[in-house]
Amino acid sequence: MPALRGSLTYSRFFIDTSEGATAQKAAVSDDFREKYMRAIRLRAMRPLEAEDEDLERSGWCKVAEPFEIELHYDDVFCNEYVALGFRTDRWQIPGPILKARVREAEAAYLEKKAREKLGRKERAELKESVARKLRKQSAPSTRMVDLVWSMNDGIVRFFSHSDKAAGNMTELFHRTFGLRLVAEAPYTLASRLGLTKAQESAWQEIEISVLAKEAS
Amino acid sequence: MEVFERIELRRFVGRELLLWLWFESEVFEGTLSTKQHGSFGLWLEGRLVLSAGQEVTTIKGTIPGQHREAKEALLRGKMPDLASLHLAWADHDATLTLKAETLAIAGLKLPRKEPDAAPTGEGTTVPVRRAPRRRAAPAEAAAELAAHEANEELYERMRVTREIEEILEALYRDFLALRLGPAWSELVIPALEAWTLGDDVDADDYGTARTKALAAAGPKGATRR
Repeated sequence: MPALRGSLTYSRFFIDTSEGATAQKAAVSDDFREKYMRAIRLRAMRPLEAEDEDLERSGWCKVAEPFEIELHYDDVFCNEYVALGFRTDRWQIPGPILKARVREAEAAYLEKKAREKLGRKERAELKESVARKLRKQSAPSTRMVDLVWSMNDGIVRFFSHSDKAAGNMTELFHRTFGLRLVAEAPYTLASRLGLTKAQESAWQEIEISVLAKEAS
Repeated sequence: MEVFERIELRRFVGRELLLWLWFESEVFEGTLSTKQHGSFGLWLEGRLVLSAGQEVTTIKGTIPGQHREAKEALLRGKMPDLASLHLAWADHDATLTLKAETLAIAGLKLPRKEPDAAPTGEGTTVPVRRAPRRRAAPAEAAAELAAHEANEELYERMRVTREIEEILEALYRDFLALRLGPAWSELVIPALEAWTLGDDVDADDYGTARTKALAAAGPKGATRR
């Protein structure tokens, strides 16, 4: 879901108010952009390799450019906005193919060793070896979601509605910037707009309005 | 009540917000206003999804809220899950889909951007062409220009997006002032029930009472008319 063209589909997140003071402090210090840039580069995407133990990995890339992972200052900062791509690589080897290849490898192994059964450890090692070979013959799937953080009002727009992607993004965001994100919801927005004490207690008491007059 | 409960157990408020927007856009014939923004157009357009548990009703059309099934769904206890809205303010038009329980936005079509133009002095205009700031190799200059334009595009899109969000937030603020005060049960619910049943709701009477209720709720409240 791109931020730079076409229609926009996104979820909003807010910098956690309990850590808002930290955000403000970071924002007013002269070198916060350099600090953020270093933190972003540190967590820039490292593409998955067949030999890696990880089956899935996420990191930052240039907004709208999943394969540009060498990030420069001008790629990231645009006035008060921080624009990034949240890239996730994942190995996706189809289960039936893996199963068939493992079966073949097991049969060949047993024949070579002139045995009838495999141990649990041997089976696991064979499976890992087959999976690695298959990974070398293919490429991981790559997904990227744009993200734009408006530092002036503490809003992060994440251009996806996927809960899983949002969960991984908020974790990486926290590791990168040291700031927690809160997902938009009727209560979080109400609270941010400012509820009076009476409204806050009314919120706790309210019940669903019922308009139904007909039996279903 | 823990913060988590205030969030998770009150997501239905988003559904009631969509219902209220639908109701007010019909009663006020597509012209709403807030204290911050004055009058603007807002109406349901494209898609309306209502649900209760596993039962879902999806209505598509130019004005989905006016389909017979829409009100029938309300009478069966369904509430809006998402609604596509048309927003017209200043000289701009935008459409978007608002999801009730997360207030997430989908398919936001921003107003068409007017091409930059500069007067020629002869009553005509020509598009402004932006030159690279310094002489550079052609490839480098093109990349620099593309990056500059991408930054401008991002900035402009986020600015307009924020403008739209501010209108929606102002409406939500008004909704909360009504929803969390006595006006909800005394004014809004009776009007909603009449409207759902197809009875006439007097827009002037409702508008006047609503304005009073918002004024009573505090300085943040908006007025209509």
